[in-house]
This record gives sequence, C-alpha cells and structure tokens, in this order.
Amino acid sequence: MSVTGSPITRRPSNFRRNLAARWAQYRRTWYFLRRNTLALVGLGILLCFAAAFVYGLYYPASSSVPVQYCATNGVTVQNLTGGNPCYDAPNAICTYPAGSVAPGPNCYQTPVDNPNFIAPTMTLTGGLGAFPFGSLVYPSADLSVDNPQFYNTYDMLVKGTVNSVSISVLIVATGALVGLMLGALSGYYGGWVDEVVMRITDIFLSIPAILLVIAVIIVGKSSGLVTFNSTLFLIGVAFVIVWWPFYARIVRSQSLVVREQRYVEASRASGASNGRIIMRHVVPNSVYPVFVQMSLDVGTIPLLLAAITFIGFVLFPYPLIPEWGSVAAAGAEILTAVFTQCGVKSAVCSVPWWQVLFPGLAIFFFSLSVNFLADGLRDALDPRLRR
Amino acid sequence: MRMWVYVVRRAVLVIPVVIGVMTVMFVLISALPTTARTCSFYHPSGKVSPCTTTIVCPGHPNQLCPNPVYLSAVSALGLNKPIYVQWAIYVGNALSFQWGYVSQGSALGTGETGAGLPSLAGQSVATILSQFLPYTIELALLSLLIILIVSIPLGNLSAVYRNRPVDQASRVMSFSGYALPAFLLGSLFLAAATFAFGGPAAPSKICGGSSTVFLDFFGSWPQPPCQPLYGTTNIGPVGYPAWLITGYISTPTGFPTVDAIVHGQYWLALDTIIRLILPALVIAYTAIAGLLRFVRNSMLEVMNQDFIRTARAKGLPESKVIKKHAGRNSLNVTITVLGLTFAAFITGFPVVEIVFNLWGVGRIYAYSVIGGTSSWDFGVLFGTTLLFTYLVVAANIIVDVLYAYLDPRVRLG
Repeated sequence: MSVTGSPITRRPSNFRRNLAARWAQYRRTWYFLRRNTLALVGLGILLCFAAAFVYGLYYPASSSVPVQYCATNGVTVQNLTGGNPCYDAPNAICTYPAGSVAPGPNCYQTPVDNPNFIAPTMTLTGGLGAFPFGSLVYPSADLSVDNPQFYNTYDMLVKGTVNSVSISVLIVATGALVGLMLGALSGYYGGWVDEVVMRITDIFLSIPAILLVIAVIIVGKSSGLVTFNSTLFLIGVAFVIVWWPFYARIVRSQSLVVREQRYVEASRASGASNGRIIMRHVVPNSVYPVFVQMSLDVGTIPLLLAAITFIGFVLFPYPLIPEWGSVAAAGAEILTAVFTQCGVKSAVCSVPWWQVLFPGLAIFFFSLSVNFLADGLRDALDPRLRR
Repeated sequence: MRMWVYVVRRAVLVIPVVIGVMTVMFVLISALPTTARTCSFYHPSGKVSPCTTTIVCPGHPNQLCPNPVYLSAVSALGLNKPIYVQWAIYVGNALSFQWGYVSQGSALGTGETGAGLPSLAGQSVATILSQFLPYTIELALLSLLIILIVSIPLGNLSAVYRNRPVDQASRVMSFSGYALPAFLLGSLFLAAATFAFGGPAAPSKICGGSSTVFLDFFGSWPQPPCQPLYGTTNIGPVGYPAWLITGYISTPTGFPTVDAIVHGQYWLALDTIIRLILPALVIAYTAIAGLLRFVRNSMLEVMNQDFIRTARAKGLPESKVIKKHAGRNSLNVTITVLGLTFAAFITGFPVVEIVFNLWGVGRIYAYSVIGGTSSWDFGVLFGTTLLFTYLVVAANIIVDVLYAYLDPRVRLG
C-alpha cells in the first residue's frame, strides 16, 4: 500500500502511483458504500443536519445586546435599565449584563460573548399550548416549577443543532487524535511503554464513562477554574478524558500487527527513524477501525450528553444552554414533576410533550443516520463482511 | 496452567488497576476546595458543621471566629499533610469502604430532593449505598435476563438468514434502539401514562398523603420511610401495595423479592418482579441494540470458518451444521455479551430509576448531582463511582475466569 524508501531514492512517479492507488481505494470504498441503501439514507439525513448546522450558524442569537428582565410569578415582563425594587421582590429572577455588578439575589449574568446564547423571557411566546413549537418551560433552580422561565423552542432547537453537532465532532476528533498517538506509540515500541499505557487505559475503561464525565465536570465547576462561558469547554475536556482509551486500544492492537510487516522491516533497514516509521506506516495503516469507531461515537455522544443533562440538568444553570440534551431534559423533568407537583404548584399541569419530542427526535435521527453510515463504512472496509 | 493459578493471577493483575482508579478519584477530590472535602468526608459529633471555615462567635453575634470543627476536620483527615500521605489515607479509606458521609448542606442532606426522601445528613455513604443497592441489582439481573433471551437467538437468526427480512428487521431494531436515549423512552412512556391514567395524577407525597394510581403500578416498594432511616424506634417502611399486604414486613436481606419469599408472600414477590419489567425493558432495549450487531457479526465470522465448510462438504444437513456451530459459539458469545453489557448498563440506571420511581443507587447518585454548586454531595458522588467501578472490575474478572474455564488455550496466555 505504501512505498518504502528514503526520500533520496524516491522518484516523482512513485508519488503519482501512490496517489492513484490511494484514490482507487477510496473509489472502491465509495462503490461498496453506494450499494448499501441504509448507508445512503444515513448520508442523506446527515446532509440535512449539515444544512441545519449552517442555518443555525447564521441564525440571530440574542446575545448581542445586554438586556435586563425582571418578573414576578411569571406574569409581567419589564425591560429595565436601572435600579428597581423588582430585584428584591420574592420570586424575581433578573439578569444583568456582563461587566456590571449583580444588582440583587437571583440575578445571573448574561454572557454577552457567548455566540449561541438565547435569552429567556418571562412570558409565554406563543403559549404553552402552541403547536408545534411553542414555548419551552424551564423550571427554576429549586425545582419548584413555581417560577419557570420560557424560551422559544424553535430558537433553542436551531442553536442547539449547532452546539450539539459541533461538540460531538470536536470531542470525537480530539479523542481520536490523542488515542491514535498514544496507541501507535505504545503498540510500536512495546515493552514497558506498552505496559504503562495499557494499564492507564485499563483504569479509565474500568470507570463507567458517564460517572467519570460527571465527576470531572463537577470538580471542574467546584474548584472555581471555569466560569459560565467555559461550561461547554469543560464538558468537552471531560468527554475527551473519558473517550481516548477506546481509540488507544484499537490503534494499539492494529499497530501490533503492522509493526511485524515486511515494509516496516524494509523501512527500518533503509535507515528510517522510529518517528518516521510511526508517522508514515503505522498510523496510516491502523486508522481504518478508528474511522469506523469515530463515526459510531459521533452518534453516541449526544445521547450521553442528553443522559447527563437529564440526570442533573442543573449542571447547566441559568441560562439554559441551547443543546438538544438540556432542552429535552428540561422537558422530561417537567413530565416527572407533573406527577408530584401538579395540584400543589399551579405552574405546570399540562404536559409539554413537544419539548421532549423534538430534541429527542433530533438526537434520534442524528444518531441513527450516523450509525447507518458507520455500519455501511464498516461493511465496505472489512472484506470479510463485504458480500 | 491450572485453573486456580489463572484465577489468582487474574485477581492479582487487577490490584494496580484498582489502585489506579483510586488515584484518579484522589486527583479529582484533591482539586476540590478544602471546605468541600471537610464537609463530605468528616463526621462531626456535635451540631456545628465542618462545612464553613468560620462561624459566628459564640457570645459575639457580629463577629466571625474560625470554626473549630473545621480545623479538627482538617487535621483528622490529614488535609494539611503532604500529598502522598493524603493519597495513602484516601486509598486506605476507599479500600475499607469508608467513603465519607452525606454532607448537611447538600440536596440529600436536607431532604430537598423533591422526591419525598427524608434527610440523610450524617449517614455514612457506604451504609446508604448498601441500603439502596439491592433494588439496582434486582433491576440489573432482570435486564440481563431479558438481554440474553432476546439478543442471542435473534443475533444468531439474523446471521443465518442474512439480508432476509429477519435480518433487516433486527437491523432496524438495533439501530433505533441504539439511537434512542433511555430518558426519551422513559419520558414518552410517562407522557403516555399521563394520558392513560386520565390526566395528571394527584400529588403523590407518600408521607401523609395518598399514593397515586401511578405508584400503584410502578415504583419500587417499600418506599423509603418518612422518618430517618436510622436512629429511630419507629420502624416500618410505608408504601406497600395495600391490596396485597397490610402493615409491613421486616426486610432481612434487603432484596424485596427475596424478603417477600422469605416471608412466604409469593404474590408480593411476583408483584415486585412485575413492577420491574417495564424499567428492565427500557434498559434492555438500548443494550440489545448494540449487542445484536455484535452477536450477528461474530456468528457470521464463525460461519465463514473452514470447519463449517468441511461439515457442509461432508453432506451434513444445513440445520445440523448450524446447530453444531451455533451451539459451539453461543456460550462464548454469551459470556462476552455479559461482560460488555455491564459497563453499558450503567448509563441507563439513574435515568430509568428516576422516571419509574425506583429507589436504587442510580437515583441516589442522581440526587447527589442535582441542583447547583451548593447542593452537590461529593461523598455520595465519589462513593457511587467507586462502587460501580468495583462492580465493573468484578464483572470483568468473572468474565475472564469463565473464558479460561471454557477455553483452555486462554490459560496458557
């Protein structure tokens, strides 16, 4: 597959032959992928999501102008610009722009520099019963459902697409990169390097993923190292910490096979350094299972994020970060609260099924299409299953 | 090598992994502020909490004095000693199941979970987890059973009848299950239940209120008592289904099904299991999805082996060929399925337990991370993580030992 030889003796025509061979292989893979209907369906759906992603990028967010809201008991909206007794009223929730001092309790800072921020309002836009998108009910921090905030569901879904897709892709790419490097190094060198790296991956694989992610996020927030704007970054870091061992294992087992090949031996005989062998031979030949795993993981991460958000969704306190999982979790929280709070507290006795269904459908179709594509890719790349 | 030698070697190899896990936990814990650590890991004997560095001076209500309980907590926990001493102390505590105490200000400690759970402040984390663990184990066992019953035969069938309707149907099922988050399934079920029961149910405060229709069919009993779990003379959890039993029964083992059987209440035991079926299905559905592909692919690999070709060439009927290698392979696959499922389970538990009102470890874990910075309970959080890690490690050891028992070649390795 790859031609060995030091750069001095390699002629330009070898490069063209290399490229042609690689290109022919991609075309072959695409041919097998094309024959798989489900993979094509998945690809189509993913293209729709890509279009929605681009749409969401240019969709106007609410963060450009700092505004102040104040409401009592979810009824009145006032647009305030100065000191106001509203801040001290019971059940008041207010916002203040970044860079100024919090005017009172229950006030939170609007993140002016977060490009994906959607500001809450205190009144229903379109009403709870508006179909299909209506208003999104977000219960207040003490879970009393007494003083909910309302977000426009459509805005949250659009911006949520941007956040969810970008965070999934970034996490998978970073995790795969880290895992690839460590796995290739440990598989190629063997010996004590291999032992140490494998023990470390054992440790991280023994801890259930969701528990470790939540622990890292909570410790990150408690130790005061991160402010609001970095919550998504903290989540990304937590996921990468948890995810790299999977890739390291895959790459290591592949590189154990690759390093026994003839072309590696020939390369070493003609004086290539270890680093060169790893970069030119080991890594490119171990990378196919990584692609398959990456495409699977892009489908899994929104699910995990949604589960985390459901469990303790006030991990993202005010304001609600537009993200599929947190939107759906807020809705599901309302659903479970209906059984216990309706009749006691009047705010929610209707079931806002749409705010669970739509982000849930988004997660579902995203994961589904990615899984179709990944399955088709695996069938196309693995000759044994290709029939 | 002999079997027991392999078991011992396998068990010994796990020790550095366990110590490594504890080191990771320790790194995370040592990043927490000191007040959080004294709050969660020190058991005060008096009323003053170790959670703040200063308290109001006794006799001088306008002044703040350093908190003596906090200082004694710092020295008792060794928080001012060098880091490796702290690590050694932590590893020793973690191995001996001293995982801290429920802190007073957390959601669990004040009882502000909104779920009817009384205040658990001051209780030892390990004791609490052992109280709630049996429910999770029962749910896990039932889910495991469902997974084995469904995924292995279905996977074998879809490998044998490849690309036929069976295969396509199982492919759709596995993809859809793989993409469905557990909480979505659970929430949709809840919405359906709301409509089925004719509108939202009446308030369901167990203590001092009537239980709802929902809780007559779902939820685990006994519900936790409305007085503290310990330190009270008034025993007797409430919330048993009234038409099955009056009063209460003692719970010698902690497992509701086993306790019911021990008392001879067989209908009660059946009722317990029935309440667990739907939650187990929700958990199993997601796990089956991933495993179905795996079972199918490994069965396909076996079917391409040479000895199958030989068997066909010998003239054996196809059904006998399939039974031969299905039988040969399915035990191996079963064990791998068991090993792989366990780690995948754990994501679903907290969600399903909350939605279906089951009082298991996952729910306690969820209540320890609920709320904001001030209501997190680090003792329960790290204790639950350690507990689940121990379980995963134990499951892996059992799986490896079973492999070695079935396939002697593994023992040589």
